Amino acid sequence: MGIPEIEDAGCLLCFGYNGADSHPIVARRIVRGRQKGMKIICADPRVTETARISDIHLQLKGGSNLALVNAMANVIWKEGLADTKFIEEHTKGFEEFLKVIEKYTPEYAEPITHIPAETIRKAARMYATTKPAMILYGMGVCQFTQAVDVVKGLANLALMTGNFGGPAMGIGPVRGQNNVQGACDMGALPNSYPGYQNVTDPEARAKFEKAWGVSLPSEIGCPITHVPHRILHEKDEKKRIHAYYIFGEDPAQSDPDLAEVREALDKCDFVVMQDIYMNKTGLYADVILPAAAWGENEGIYTCADRGFQRVRKLIEPEGDVKPDWQIIAEISTAMGYPMNYKNTEEIWNEMIDLCPSFKGATYEKIEKYGCVQWPCRDKSMEDKGTPYLHKDGIFGTKDHKALFYGTDWHPPVELENDQYPMTLSTVREVGHYSVRTMTGNCRTLRNLEDEPGWVQMNTGDCERMGLKKGELVKILSKRGYCITRCLPTDRVEPGATYMTYQWWIGACNELTTAKLDPISNTPEYKYCACRVEKIEDQEWAERHVMELYDDIRAQMGIDTGKGAEA
Amino acid sequence: MNYFVKGNPDLCIGCRTCMIGCVVAHEGKRIFEVDPDSYDFNPRLHVVRTVRLSVPVQCKHCENPACMAVCPVGAISQKDHCVIIDQDKCMGCKSCMDACPFGAINMTERKGHIQADGTLKKTANKCDLCYGLPGGPACVRVCPTEALTLITEEDLETAMERKRAETARNTFKENHPQE
Amino acid sequence: MKKELGCFVVGDSTKCTGCRACELACFTVHNRESNHVGKTVGTVSVPVAPRLFLTKFEEGCMPIQCKHCEDAPCLNACTKGAISRIDHQVIVDAEKCIGCKDCMQACPFGAIALLPYAKDGKLVAQPMGEETKVFASKCDLCAGIEGGPACVRVCPHQALRLVDPEAEREEKNIKAAEALLLTKNWR
Repeated sequence: MGIPEIEDAGCLLCFGYNGADSHPIVARRIVRGRQKGMKIICADPRVTETARISDIHLQLKGGSNLALVNAMANVIWKEGLADTKFIEEHTKGFEEFLKVIEKYTPEYAEPITHIPAETIRKAARMYATTKPAMILYGMGVCQFTQAVDVVKGLANLALMTGNFGGPAMGIGPVRGQNNVQGACDMGALPNSYPGYQNVTDPEARAKFEKAWGVSLPSEIGCPITHVPHRILHEKDEKKRIHAYYIFGEDPAQSDPDLAEVREALDKCDFVVMQDIYMNKTGLYADVILPAAAWGENEGIYTCADRGFQRVRKLIEPEGDVKPDWQIIAEISTAMGYPMNYKNTEEIWNEMIDLCPSFKGATYEKIEKYGCVQWPCRDKSMEDKGTPYLHKDGIFGTKDHKALFYGTDWHPPVELENDQYPMTLSTVREVGHYSVRTMTGNCRTLRNLEDEPGWVQMNTGDCERMGLKKGELVKILSKRGYCITRCLPTDRVEPGATYMTYQWWIGACNELTTAKLDPISNTPEYKYCACRVEKIEDQEWAERHVMELYDDIRAQMGIDTGKGAEA
Repeated sequence: MNYFVKGNPDLCIGCRTCMIGCVVAHEGKRIFEVDPDSYDFNPRLHVVRTVRLSVPVQCKHCENPACMAVCPVGAISQKDHCVIIDQDKCMGCKSCMDACPFGAINMTERKGHIQADGTLKKTANKCDLCYGLPGGPACVRVCPTEALTLITEEDLETAMERKRAETARNTFKENHPQE
Repeated sequence: MKKELGCFVVGDSTKCTGCRACELACFTVHNRESNHVGKTVGTVSVPVAPRLFLTKFEEGCMPIQCKHCEDAPCLNACTKGAISRIDHQVIVDAEKCIGCKDCMQACPFGAIALLPYAKDGKLVAQPMGEETKVFASKCDLCAGIEGGPACVRVCPHQALRLVDPEAEREEKNIKAAEALLLTKNWR
């Protein structure tokens, strides 16, 4: 399925995905679908823009995803709404799955999810009976310690209703960053070479060793979220990390438990940072490599729908900046492995020849069709790629059958307690992208929102604490604290707080926990215990925030004379 | 009749691109060249977000504008289907702000315009339908979900005529039932 | 976040009966300390100098007072620097005022009057003459006086209202947004 198809779905289950803030261009498809009569079920603890226009808003308690998903599966099965023909012909493991979801009646899920049983039933019926039904999920699913299980749970829903392999159906992860799909495709993962060929597969390894003329390690590498531990606490001297080369990433802003990240960057012997602007991580770097920005680069991005798209250079980079690929080639050459690529197409051609599922996606073809969705195995122009990965219910397993995979719900790691009675979840806001390395330097966006950001809180909670809109508050967890502005809103439920993670001062990752999903190694950004404290002396707080801002800007060498007022 | 831009809450995703589009349209391209702190960031429309509502609100360009009636210095006038504030005449008395029932007028600082006590002047700020700018209202053009529409006299008249005809047809059907 | 605009009081001619309670209350609260007004009966020893002005016109009456403009013509016109902005309100320093009348002419509302200046229950004479010192008398929104503007508090017909313009604007915005829901299918 592709992004443009969203608007043609009969029913959209939007789970933990806030398109309006994360991807307005995807949200546009949702809005259009709505105008065309698409039914929308939105599972989100907040009243997001999608929730606002939805038919059913499942305003679940944070951290109860799998209980809800399993309960929906339970209803679909119990009420005879499952596509038994599809299940029989195209799947296996259904019996075992049924045993797992047996106990997840809507009544069982109600106290966990805080959603009335009858609402869960209605949602399950709507999803199962409106065809075609599409699922979109986002970080509200992935950034939990129980993340992969929920993704599989959502896939179970699509499988048991036969919503796979055709237009405007299936299950779509709408990824956190642009080209994060591309980064994975290109093997920027600890466990795979480009094209999802495992580093533990001797045949694949041999192929890459031959092509590159080097010997390659046979074991899986280190996920980014393990890096602080491997720098700070690794007992085995051989495994300890001493050098850290970071590009297009700002772990000192985006990773959980920033105090630990800072300590790790501090203790790391050698840190290289390669980015388009200065960022928090840059403050810890021994070497900074200035890179060209998106408009100064050539290349290929992969969209969330597996579509390869060309990115073209608009302007020549000015000053001492270079495109990432050139920097990498020069570093490699200096380290004794010469790379003499003339352009990105040469790199691309080398890559696709090593990746069977990308082999047919030539520059020429992408240029001609605008977008080529992998797998695309043949270079002839007739192979236009694969819009539907599981077309006609043919899956990528050996016997071409999909596997049901049921698991029990478990609560998040750090629950509310006496000392930290509220919960914190990190979220996005539309004006600032990711860690703000780009958008923080866009003047009008900075005018719209600037430091120290906001904490969204329920109006009732604010009244109880005597907090007004715009007031500076202190927000604390077991790991740290930050200062930010209070935004009372009834779009969030009592007891919960939400912060965007891009602010230097209102840095919510000071608070978040570094507990990971065991399979994806993604941190539980969406749930930790916190406390909000009123600051009595607001004048002091305003001054303090300004000083902090000036201080960070001074450290980064930004024009400090003007202060932070935009 | 005056024209006006209106937002549709069913289409709005609260992204505020309209507000940025508004500023860029009124400040011109220099906004990308001058010092970031030296231009006016004064959107002339406001995205309202309540629990169940996200939508921009801006001037309705009333036919009998209350703001114009209360202005003591004649800074508000109507021309070319548009109610316009002359910011040079405005002295920030807020009477119009108080008179407008939509909250469409706010007071904004004007960079480089200083009062006798050294503070920046604040004057009334509201939608002028991008008066004198090519391409019509910027908010309408930049909205990613096409949630904003410029409504002209003809648009409104066509809609009213259609509705009248519909009402007439329905009444006719009611009076002449077919077997 | 801090208040960004000056507040002001407006009168409502549909409710005002012209009783002048607002003027008296204004005079009283501003002269309590400096002129011992209002302690007992018969304490008014100085001329009544209010800072808002009950105004009769063809169709009725209403009090007129300062709007605390954001580009205040009075402040800009005052050569002596006797008018300043304190906590977003436009305030006259009676001691500094030399009675040049520029502010009166600059104000489009007629919200300023030159009135006799009194202290300690007595009129104050001009430094080098016999004449009474006057000052530009205008609403200061009862700055420093407990309970806020006295005129609003005493009006028997609730014909005066304290306006926090930005807060009211936001409320009106929400109502306007809600109205858009009702008119969204205008075609």
